[in-house]
Amino acid sequence: MMLAAFTHPVFDSQRNFRELLQAMARPASPRTLPVLAPAPVPATPAAMAILLTLCDTSTSVWLQQADEALSQHLRFHTGCGLVQTPVEADFALITDPTTMPPLDTFALGDPRYPDRSASLIVQVEAFHANTGPRFAGPGIRDVERVRIDGLPERFWRERVALASRLPLGIDLYFVAAQNILALPRTTRQLED
Amino acid sequence: MSTPYNFAFLDENTKRMLRRALLKAVAIPGYQVPFGSREMPLPYGWGTGGIQVTAALLGPDDVLKVIDQGADDTTNAVNIRRFFGRVAGVATTERTADASVIQTRHRIPEIPLREDQLLVFQVPEPEPLRTLEPREAETRTMHALADYGLMHVKLYEDIAQYGHIATSYDYPVMVDGRYLTSPSPIPKFDNPKLDRSPALMLFGAGREKRLYAIPPYTRVESLAFDDHPFEIQRWEHHCALCGAGDSYLDEVVVDDRGTRMFVCSDTDYCSQRRDDATEEAA
Repeated sequence: MMLAAFTHPVFDSQRNFRELLQAMARPASPRTLPVLAPAPVPATPAAMAILLTLCDTSTSVWLQQADEALSQHLRFHTGCGLVQTPVEADFALITDPTTMPPLDTFALGDPRYPDRSASLIVQVEAFHANTGPRFAGPGIRDVERVRIDGLPERFWRERVALASRLPLGIDLYFVAAQNILALPRTTRQLED
Repeated sequence: MSTPYNFAFLDENTKRMLRRALLKAVAIPGYQVPFGSREMPLPYGWGTGGIQVTAALLGPDDVLKVIDQGADDTTNAVNIRRFFGRVAGVATTERTADASVIQTRHRIPEIPLREDQLLVFQVPEPEPLRTLEPREAETRTMHALADYGLMHVKLYEDIAQYGHIATSYDYPVMVDGRYLTSPSPIPKFDNPKLDRSPALMLFGAGREKRLYAIPPYTRVESLAFDDHPFEIQRWEHHCALCGAGDSYLDEVVVDDRGTRMFVCSDTDYCSQRRDDATEEAA
């Protein structure tokens, strides 16, 4: 049976967008998504809420685990195009971070148009503020500390390697339960 | 609220397009993101870019303030405030501290903004290099290569000709040390308020179809030279109404014999100072 999307599409996506905007403007600082959406496995309600808020017929989405029910659900509610390779994606849904493709397989943008780059929605187990690695960059007053559970170790090495390509890069939204946390390309992980 | 329109006037596809562009703009501070600017029910130059950004942000719980050159009561500000009151049914205010979203033309309020406030700028020309290089393809390449020598030459020529940097508004800034960015035509007096602001600042240019952002707590430097440091305007006058010596002043001709007075450009700041003074006196 087909699951529903937002109850109030206009207002639910507006409220979610404002949290996403603040999450992106204040990186590495967890926030709560106000409205979740029913989601077929392996997608979580928070990840689905982001996709419903931002995707439509002009966006292409890549699913790490291409489940038929999930694909149908997204096509029906957003009309988005589903693409076969990571490099084509505007948005990518990472449902199993341990086996995710390397970060540089996604679109990093063009030097003249660095905005033509992928945004990744990564479903993780949990994140813990005020502990773990330190982050700095635009949007962060001094430093933020956050530990993200469920990412492979190579993930951070791949992300550091991308920093030399700035302003090219990819932007990350992590979701765990009802919480979101953004890491734009400009956020640097500080060495301890 | 009139029913024939979607909430906040724009259709949902347009809002999503704006929202995706805004998120990329925040992720790449100072970079101009192209967007599909829509025709709005007022002409270019009246804040169509700012209005579209505001429409993508607004929700029913927002409190909107609109200022034009610092004033809440000028035609442009009144029109835009009324527009959103009608198509979104949002509450409006003239008090900076009460607003959750502030749309502005050419000023930043004198009262420091908070983390929970959003500032939306109406931008006529988002490209700081445009007067020096008319071709978009060229300026894009210059941004890609961070090749900003031309702007330094322009400022140097000011010094060679006038003895000082003569740019007094739309004074170019470097955002996060990477992108040369137009602060929109705010007076350079307001440039220091861009640096490490607690509030997120969004910029929309409707005719030029570009939007960009300066995230909170981001380094924003006004271009200068070691021997010609950046300086803001100063006045020997104080505001004739509230006596403020620290705000941006407008010179107003008050009769046909050329009598002038200097008053705060930020009308909310000025009237609150006067209210406070009356309370203290009582």
